[in-house]
Amino acid sequence: MRIDTGDIRYHDVWIVIPAFNEAGVIGDIVADVRTVFSHVVCVDDGSRDDTGDIALAAGAHVVSHPVNLGQGAAIQTGVEYARTRPGARVFATFDADGQHQVKDLVRMIDRLIAEDVDLVIGTRFADPGIVSHAPLPKRLVLRSVARLSRQSRKLGLTDAHNGLRVFNKTVADGLDITMSGMSHASEFIALACDKRWRVTEEPVEILYTEYSKSKGQPLLNGVNIAFDGLLRGRLAQ
Amino acid sequence: MNGIQPLLIGSVLILLVYLLRSRSSARTKAWVKVGYVLFVIAGIYAILWPDDTTVVANWVGVDRGTDLLEYVLIIAFAFTTLSTYMRFKELELRYARLARAVALDSAREPAR
Repeated sequence: MRIDTGDIRYHDVWIVIPAFNEAGVIGDIVADVRTVFSHVVCVDDGSRDDTGDIALAAGAHVVSHPVNLGQGAAIQTGVEYARTRPGARVFATFDADGQHQVKDLVRMIDRLIAEDVDLVIGTRFADPGIVSHAPLPKRLVLRSVARLSRQSRKLGLTDAHNGLRVFNKTVADGLDITMSGMSHASEFIALACDKRWRVTEEPVEILYTEYSKSKGQPLLNGVNIAFDGLLRGRLAQ
Repeated sequence: MNGIQPLLIGSVLILLVYLLRSRSSARTKAWVKVGYVLFVIAGIYAILWPDDTTVVANWVGVDRGTDLLEYVLIIAFAFTTLSTYMRFKELELRYARLARAVALDSAREPAR
C-alpha cells in the first residue's frame, strides 16, 4: 500500500524540481519539500553524479534526460510529466540548489487557490519589508530587466527571473518552453502575456548561500538571455 | 587568359555541381539553387571581365569593384552566420523534444 507523506490539502499539487549535478543537496531538498507536498517530480538533467537515484530514494518521481539540455528544458519535461498524473491540478517550479523555501511555496499555493489567478510568480523586490539578499549588481540588473521588458511591464512584474512559480492546469497544459537554457524565465513571462494568463506576484525570500551562489548563473548570461528574447518570435515552433 | 581565372571558374562550377546534386524537394531549397545559378553566372562574368565590377560599383557610388565585392561579402557572411544560428536553435529544440520523449518513457516512480 502506498503511504503518502505530506499535507492532505496538497494532494493535487505537483512540485517540479529541475536538477543538474546536485547529488550533495537534492536528498535534503526533496525531503524538505515532501514534509508538506507528497508529489514531487525531480528532473535529472543529464547529471554525471547520482542526483536521480538520491532524489528517487528521497521519494521523488524521477525523469532523467539522457543528455544535459538546460533548466528550461528540464522544467518543461517536469511539467509535462506532472500534468499527465491523475488528479494533478496545481503545479510549482522549485530550484534544487536550496535558494527557495517551502514556506514561500505554501503561501503561493494558498494564494493561487484562494485568488482568481492562473500563475503566481515569486519576487525578491515587491515588498520593501522583506530585505533582498541579492548582491547589489545582480539586484540592479534584475530590476532593470523587469522594468525594460515589455511583457513584465504589462503584467506589472518586478522580478524578471524568479524560479519560484505556482500555476494551475491551464498554464501547465499551455506551457511550451522552447528556450532550453536560462532564457526560459523571460519566455515563461512572454507566454503568460501571449496566452493572457492572469498573473500575480508574491514576495519571497531567496537564500543566497555560498552553494546557491556557486550554482547560480553569472550576470553576463543576461546578454544571452536578451539575445534569445530577440530571436524567440522568429523560431519555428 | 590570366592564370587565376580558370582556377576560379573551375571552383565555382564544382560548387554548382555539388549544390545541384544535393537532393531536396523543399521550395526554399529550390530558390537557393536558382539564386546560386545566378551567382555562378555573375561570378564567371566577373572573373572574365573584372573591370566591369568597377562599373557596377560606380553605379552605387563605390569607387572600386573590389570594395563593392567586399561589402557584399560582409553582408552575405553576416546573413549566413545568423541563418546558421537560427538553424542550430531549431535543431536544438528538436533534439530537446526527442530527449524529453525518451526521458518521459523511462520515468521512475518512488517505491513508497
